[in-house]
Amino acid sequence: TTIMAVQFDGGVVLGADSRTSTGSYVANRVSDKIVPIHDFIWTCRSGSAADTQAVADYVKYYVDAHSMELGRLPRVRTVANLMRKICYNNKDNLMAGLIVGGWDPYEGGQVYEIPLGGTIMRQKFALGGSGSSYIYGLVDSYYREGMTREECEIFVKKSISHAMARDGSSGGVIRITTIQSTGVQRQCILGSDVCMAMRWNHDYFYHGLNQRLKDG
Amino acid sequence: SIMSYNGGVVIAMKGKGCVAIAADRRLGVRGHTVAMDFQKIFEMGPHLYVGLPGLATDTITVAQRLKFRLNMYELRENRRITPKTFASVVANLLYERRFGPYFVEPVIAGIDTKTGEPYICNTDLIGCLNEPDDFVVSGTCVEQAFGMCEALWEPDLEPLDLFETISQALVNAFDRDAMSGWGAVVHVIEKDKVTVRTVKTRMD
Repeated sequence: TTIMAVQFDGGVVLGADSRTSTGSYVANRVSDKIVPIHDFIWTCRSGSAADTQAVADYVKYYVDAHSMELGRLPRVRTVANLMRKICYNNKDNLMAGLIVGGWDPYEGGQVYEIPLGGTIMRQKFALGGSGSSYIYGLVDSYYREGMTREECEIFVKKSISHAMARDGSSGGVIRITTIQSTGVQRQCILGSDVCMAMRWNHDYFYHGLNQRLKDG
Repeated sequence: SIMSYNGGVVIAMKGKGCVAIAADRRLGVRGHTVAMDFQKIFEMGPHLYVGLPGLATDTITVAQRLKFRLNMYELRENRRITPKTFASVVANLLYERRFGPYFVEPVIAGIDTKTGEPYICNTDLIGCLNEPDDFVVSGTCVEQAFGMCEALWEPDLEPLDLFETISQALVNAFDRDAMSGWGAVVHVIEKDKVTVRTVKTRMD
């Protein structure tokens, strides 16, 4: 699995591969690892599929009731904390690495990472899953502050396609979910377009990299 | 598991006066893909090929040791080896190491140049020969490969049709395996020529 989320001004971009494997058998090659928790708050799942589905379902239920009581859109921070509580208090029995990404009217676009033990960390971008190890260097070199929505989408597609190329447990299609105040859009990058993603806007990023190297 | 440490799959099929042998190109270390151009099919004669899926170090070593035995045979006998005899050479090499085996499960495909008869077989890691009439598979996605071959294979396929059939069987089998893939190479062996093609596949 490779999952990723990046924050930009006014929203977030969430990305994931689509491979579910039992050992070396690919049980599902078009799975959807990005699930909605509320209208503008989605989660990327990694680890045990059963555990993450159960946690996500619980949090969805709690947040639904919470936002109805509140009469307003829930905060992304609230959703992330609910998730964190479940993961931390059941840490002995769960194997779940989650990334919560969403938009709320109070703090805008936010990304929260909840790794195995139940820590919660707010970050500008987050990586998760077995494939993430292969792209830390790539992500660190290509990430810039203040990227636009399109730049974030290309960044996510590029990174995930590189992880899919090297990690045996990642593959299939790239699913992207972009959340903004105006709404949520889902994309699916298939087949040969995945290879293309590795080369997309290469000059643009290369130029950016050179600039950063010059700046020191 | 030792046999799935590096990953890989090889399939061979019989056609009308021809055989085809195909393999993926991945070399991995558990989940990490290290190379996408790793050779698993080796030429042992102008119309005789052996595929060696399994532990990569043994793939290379067994290929080298087989080539040595083959060269000695050709020097002594002063003629090319037949596929059936070569299969026995492979089986013997593997059984010599009965209690500390090479972790490869070879697939042999060739045409007997004298009779023009196509021949395929595979062995387990300690040299038990299996010589069916249709197809053989070996590697980390054997179950998937068996299913694909059983569904797609039919007798007396012409060389071009055989190429299509074996390519589809291989690619769709390893698309369901996390440890194989990242490219495919297919050899089609006919009485007078051998055609090697690389297939463009998903690189995940």
